[in-house]
Amino acid sequence: MPLANTSTSVPVVVDEDKCIADKGCTVCVDVCPLDVLRISELTGKAYMKFDECWYCMPCEADCPTGAVTVNIPYLLK
Amino acid sequence: MDEITAGLSEIDCDVLVIGGGTAGPMAAYKAKMKNPDAKVVLLEKANVKRSGAISMGMDGLNNAVIPGHSTPEQYTKEITIANDGIVDQAAVLKYAENCFEMIQELDRFGIRFQKDENGDYDVKKVHHMGTYVLPMPNGETVKKALYRQLRRARILISNRYMATRLLTGKSGRIAGAIAVNTRTAEFLVVRAKTVIMSMGAAGRLGLPTSGYLFGTYENAANSGEGYAMAYHAGAKLANLECFQINPLIKDYNGPACAYVAGPFGGYTANAKGERFIECDYWSGQMMQEFYKELQSGNGPVFLRLNHLRQETADHIEHILHTVERPSRGRFHEARGTRYAQTMIEMHISEIGFCSGHSASGVFVDECARTTVPGLYAAGDMASVPHNYMLGAFTNGAIAGEDAIDFAAEVDFDAYDRADVLAEQERVLAPTRREDGIPPNQIEYKVRRLVNDYLQPPKVSKKYELAQQRFAEAREDMEQVMVARDAHELMRALEVSSILDCADMAACASLYRAESRWGLYHWRTDYPERNDDEWKCHVLLGKQDDGTMGCEKRAVQPYIVPISDDEKDAYYKQRITAEA
Amino acid sequence: MTFEPFEAFCDLDDLAEKLRDADPGVRRVAVMDLADTAEPGAVALIGSALHDGVPEVRLQAAIALGEFDGRDCAQMLVVGLVDADHRVARAAADSLAELKDPAAADPIFPLIAHAAPAVRAGALRGIKELRRPDALPLALRALDDADPQVRVEALGVVGYLKVEETLPALIAASRDAHAEVRRTAVGALGFSRSAHAAEALIRALSDSDWSVRAAAAEILGKGRFARAVAPLMAAFEDPEWQVQVKIMRSLGQLKAAEAVPLIGRSLEAEISNLRKEAAAALGEIAVPACRPYLEGFVDDPDPDVRKNVRWALGRIE
Ligand SMILES: Cc1cc2nc3c(=O)[nH]c(=O)nc-3n(C[C@H](O)[C@H](O)[C@H](O)COP(=O)(O)OP(=O)(O)OC[C@H]3O[C@@H](n4cnc5c(N)ncnc54)[C@H](O)[C@@H]3O)c2cc1C
Ligand code: SF4
Ligand code: SF4
Repeated sequence: MPLANTSTSVPVVVDEDKCIADKGCTVCVDVCPLDVLRISELTGKAYMKFDECWYCMPCEADCPTGAVTVNIPYLLK
Repeated sequence: MDEITAGLSEIDCDVLVIGGGTAGPMAAYKAKMKNPDAKVVLLEKANVKRSGAISMGMDGLNNAVIPGHSTPEQYTKEITIANDGIVDQAAVLKYAENCFEMIQELDRFGIRFQKDENGDYDVKKVHHMGTYVLPMPNGETVKKALYRQLRRARILISNRYMATRLLTGKSGRIAGAIAVNTRTAEFLVVRAKTVIMSMGAAGRLGLPTSGYLFGTYENAANSGEGYAMAYHAGAKLANLECFQINPLIKDYNGPACAYVAGPFGGYTANAKGERFIECDYWSGQMMQEFYKELQSGNGPVFLRLNHLRQETADHIEHILHTVERPSRGRFHEARGTRYAQTMIEMHISEIGFCSGHSASGVFVDECARTTVPGLYAAGDMASVPHNYMLGAFTNGAIAGEDAIDFAAEVDFDAYDRADVLAEQERVLAPTRREDGIPPNQIEYKVRRLVNDYLQPPKVSKKYELAQQRFAEAREDMEQVMVARDAHELMRALEVSSILDCADMAACASLYRAESRWGLYHWRTDYPERNDDEWKCHVLLGKQDDGTMGCEKRAVQPYIVPISDDEKDAYYKQRITAEA
Repeated sequence: MTFEPFEAFCDLDDLAEKLRDADPGVRRVAVMDLADTAEPGAVALIGSALHDGVPEVRLQAAIALGEFDGRDCAQMLVVGLVDADHRVARAAADSLAELKDPAAADPIFPLIAHAAPAVRAGALRGIKELRRPDALPLALRALDDADPQVRVEALGVVGYLKVEETLPALIAASRDAHAEVRRTAVGALGFSRSAHAAEALIRALSDSDWSVRAAAAEILGKGRFARAVAPLMAAFEDPEWQVQVKIMRSLGQLKAAEAVPLIGRSLEAEISNLRKEAAAALGEIAVPACRPYLEGFVDDPDPDVRKNVRWALGRIE
């Protein structure tokens, strides 16, 4: 069977003005236990690539610039 | 990133530790400290800096045996009773004797426990009998402190490698493990004289009602590989039918820790705001009472703090919203719930395997040795019951120190190269398909079946149906599952562990023909506890013909005897009111 | 070269180079990487970043030093503690509080007399865990500080050292104008078994602040001060039930047979926490006079109360 892409709203938001991934920071990507964050090749900033979050928050706690916000995802809000 | 790169590398080491959460870092550290010349490798699916159940700290130690507050013998007795007698006491006693030293060592590492104004540990009484709770309201730096020690000790850390299978040698000893990089799908074959498994609970077995596959109670990276790998390597697993089910904040699906609120006067209540739990210790019995109240007209169940002074309730809120699962605060904020004003609705978690909270784990002795020579297990995946975080640390240390001695005595055991090739084939199969079913759908289906058929109360007929449906899902997984990149491949491999665990949960539950451990193993066809036939362990393993099977194993004679009136002292208090 | 799948141990020289980069973002990342090396040699480099012109880099450095210990690390952190940017100063104070090596106290001592209260408080907080006896005179002097937070932190240092000679100062602090100071002082008195300490704690039972009263009631029981029985009984009708709970617990620990009728009456209380505590205290006291009070509550609607009642009755047998 062929595959389709279904849209989903993801809990983690990155403030691109604050993110310094383009200076070499990868902290949030490094610490995520589920490995769901990536640095975008397009923008050079961090973003949530996979909707597989445990809302555990190391990404937010360890970001040096306060760019990351973990929200409570819609289905359990 | 995430493109699939072919490739395979091999390394050697004396001690390989798999899983860098809680028990694993301590095992690696202790092994290296005992023999600084040895090569110790710590392999982790995520990143050791923030991986595992304790990534954001813990509310506190649930089971600290501290001189002046409780004794190892008393603790051993209580755990034996809380676990309905199915305990090899040697391991529990050894933990209890060693855990205070571990607290002091963790303190020196910079991990913060609550102290009073005179700098002494501020131990709290939560249970009716012993006093075991040591809060950690500022414990969010626990992983940082551990990581620092690992770096100083020059432990070799391999992050983002997911172990998939163990290798056993020609002489039956452990020979190493195979791992896959989660971002490139490159293989790493680690030849090792000893292997310590500390891959945590099987936390992605049941499905949270939100529908989010990763919205679990347990750290969602703990998908049960430890259990699956032990099984495939021929190790025995104990009492898997003693499921883990925990009380939690409804919808949020994380703990509303009564151990934090208890010392301040908070408690678990029914809709009338009244206590209803008879049982003293966090156990299957307690969960049974919780479940019954939920089902009864008195439910739902709440955490009650709104009878406390505003300052006290706010203080508890502050602790719960800063450590362990800090997104609790966000959840309540969005709903406008404040602990000082409203009771917090609670529920029960999906099922899982976890000795940390119950007893289901890879069978180990008091030195953390499994039934495969050279293979160790510690933490949530090893069979020492009610072990929690301090148990993971303490038994991790025991495993590390025993393993490093074992490694000094032996040479590498040779494994069969064909095993590696076969594993490569198995792992990469989903990447070789053009289309098919993605891992998340197979995972959803398996876990939905777990909820529908395996969630207690356990009904034999439903369990048999589950086994049939699992077999169909296995066929789908083997024939049509597709993974398009390395990340998705990790998820595909996790599905295989989850399915193995589901099969094990069904097999072990059907074998034990009695009810025991309250809700954890409540069988409607055998509603009574039957000590004559079942006061024993159930060990599950791979049989000679390659199928899954169970056997009985006697409980070791108690070292700390429990007299009948002591048992009564617990049970008598639990009797419900007459009126 | 053989394949190394391990986390790298970064080269300090490379990172030192990055620390001189024109871009503050790069400097920040370098500070974080330096912290990850866990190398003792990284301390001085990170310390140098505390002199960076950009506050965010200094902030990162103050946080990063929390990963290290020892005299040198403290020497660097005191620079951060006096930083003009309050975020940097706060992070430095937090990192100071992580120190474990007693030798780290030396560079901190001078700051206990700093002009800024936040610096004084941060310095005191930093040396608390280090338990250096020679910190005592400095901390005692700080008990007279104009700033209540400084006084609280000074009490922390004094309390951890548990020296009988500090009693007069601790007792004076238990009369402080500020409730948080009084509460901390009452806690700090916990180590002493002396009559003077008991007197101060008994006086605190009638403090205007409920949390001070609760702390005093708790410590009187913990310290097994026999002379506290009558005052605890006198304080029994405290308007806050959370204080009453502590009083009952302490009367239980003191095995206060004369308090049985008083405690027994609390078994009628509406708040189940009080009933539970009353039953537990009667079980601790366990004299036959407890029995008639307990017997009426074997079937209390609250399971925890029932449990304690049954346990208590068992102890009297
Ligand atoms: C929400 C929550 C609250 C808790 N609260 C408390 C508390 O207040 N007090 C208390 O004492 N205990 C508490 N516990 C229990 C305690 O945290 C655990 O018992 C303990 O941390 C388990 O340690 P572990 O090493 O077994 O597992 P973990 O710390 O979870 O580590 C397992 C590690 O293995 C890694 N891993 C998994 N699979 C693989 C693989 N295939 N290859 C490589 N690596 C792998 C994971 O990424 C993870 O890092 C709590 C647990 C949870 C989940
Ligand atoms: S941690 Fe923060 S600054 Fe660094 S990459 Fe992530 S979002 Fe950007
Ligand atoms: S909240 Fe946790 S799982 Fe989610 S992105 Fe952040 S670190 Fe990853």
